[in-house]
Amino acid sequence: MVDDEALNAWFVREVLPLERALTAYVRRNWRVAEDVFELRQDIYEHALVGARRELPSNTRAYMYTLARNHLINQAKRAQIVSFEIVADLDHEIMDFDMFGAERALTARDELRHAKAGIDKLPPRCREVMRLRKLDGLSTQEAAEALGVSTETVRQQLKYGMKALIDHMIGGSGKIVRPKFGRRASEETRS
Amino acid sequence: MNRHQAIEDQALDWLIRRDEPDWSDGDQAELDKWLDESMANRAAWLRAEHGWAQADRVRSLGAWENRPKSDYRRPIWVPTAIAASLLLAVGIGGYSLAPQFADQPAARQTRFDTPVGGHKVVSLADGSRIELNTESVVRAAVNEKRRDVWLDSGEAYFEVKHRDGEPFVVHAGSRTITVLGTKFSVRRDNDRVTVNVIEGRVRVDDGQGGNSSAAIITAGDTAIARAGSTLIAPKSEERVEGALAWRDGMLTFNLIPLSEVAAEFNRYNRTQLSVDPSAADIPIGGTFQASNVDAFARLLHDAYGLKTEQDGDRIKIST
Repeated sequence: MVDDEALNAWFVREVLPLERALTAYVRRNWRVAEDVFELRQDIYEHALVGARRELPSNTRAYMYTLARNHLINQAKRAQIVSFEIVADLDHEIMDFDMFGAERALTARDELRHAKAGIDKLPPRCREVMRLRKLDGLSTQEAAEALGVSTETVRQQLKYGMKALIDHMIGGSGKIVRPKFGRRASEETRS
Repeated sequence: MNRHQAIEDQALDWLIRRDEPDWSDGDQAELDKWLDESMANRAAWLRAEHGWAQADRVRSLGAWENRPKSDYRRPIWVPTAIAASLLLAVGIGGYSLAPQFADQPAARQTRFDTPVGGHKVVSLADGSRIELNTESVVRAAVNEKRRDVWLDSGEAYFEVKHRDGEPFVVHAGSRTITVLGTKFSVRRDNDRVTVNVIEGRVRVDDGQGGNSSAAIITAGDTAIARAGSTLIAPKSEERVEGALAWRDGMLTFNLIPLSEVAAEFNRYNRTQLSVDPSAADIPIGGTFQASNVDAFARLLHDAYGLKTEQDGDRIKIST
């Protein structure tokens, strides 16, 4: 049995950095785009369940195998999915190198990355996030400062956090786009 | 809502609650219980917590527009269609005020200028470079806290060294251009300010008190700001490159009316072209040496059959 602390640390240190590769892999091998995040979540769940017994020695190979098997099982179960997918995956060479670890980001890269994530947020959402993250206001204080309900603040905060977390971990703006409107840069007016 | 979204949503709710000041041991126990319920919960929580902690990096950065503290208490959130742009405008108030104060900055200023036809490269203390085009004046004040440059007239190309949390601000008339580290040029023609971005992104602010607006433009974009309006020309790397041909001593035109082409040449030369209205609208395309106005005049004569007439420092062009 692996204890909570070790399990959590392993997940954050070794699994999350693979998220971009994992998401790309699922997307490539699954036709229904709406299912991708659901599938990813399932794979994470399986990963934790398996690692609870013993932490894998090679996380990349472990995640790759899990992802592949999960997709095959799901495809076999779901009638709507073509069996070509299963066949493709079955005959695929075990090439987990495509699960390349992300280049280690320097602090500066991360900073730039975070900045880019914030720039993507719509202005009102960014304002709430700023009050929270930079000024450290509580939900109640932020609501008073903006003259809106705490529920509104919480809602905006949630959108913003979700977008920023996706951006920091997955690095894909695509996840966020449909939910949010146009970029602030397009709001030029005279 | 499907299962995945529901779990992610709960994880975010927990995260928001945990960051509240009244988070207690009892709350923590509740969270632990939720985490133990399923590995799906744990995965969603770890992912959210880790991603959110990583985003903490922005604390140290000028990523958020700084407004005076007192403004926080003002209810500025009007839930209407214009709320977004209004907020944006108010949000940048801190920077918008900059030009008025910044005209008397505390930091020591260094002045650089170029004569007609001149071209000069200067390096600043922070490692950034400014390339001055013809007839240009810039003043720079760079210290540990701020990096400000005033483009008083003319045109300049900037290569800005990135410094964490320390923006580089170019003041051009009523506009301020804020960057963190990038390559771009700024040109002033009286009240018109043109910004071309080669690399990265910059923010152009129209700093007129409550009326201010901001535009973020990225590589390949051109912003042309005049009076109260800012026009963003769609992405064209080619045009931006053309706009910066002066750095190589060249001028590039893509079917621009002769009157405008002449005005461009006149920036670089003592010999001035004056175009008769009859020839003003002829479209000109091509790349020319900025300093060789005589060759350009000859070309107009040879290729377009226009009349050129030299009179001292003036060349008259007509049909």
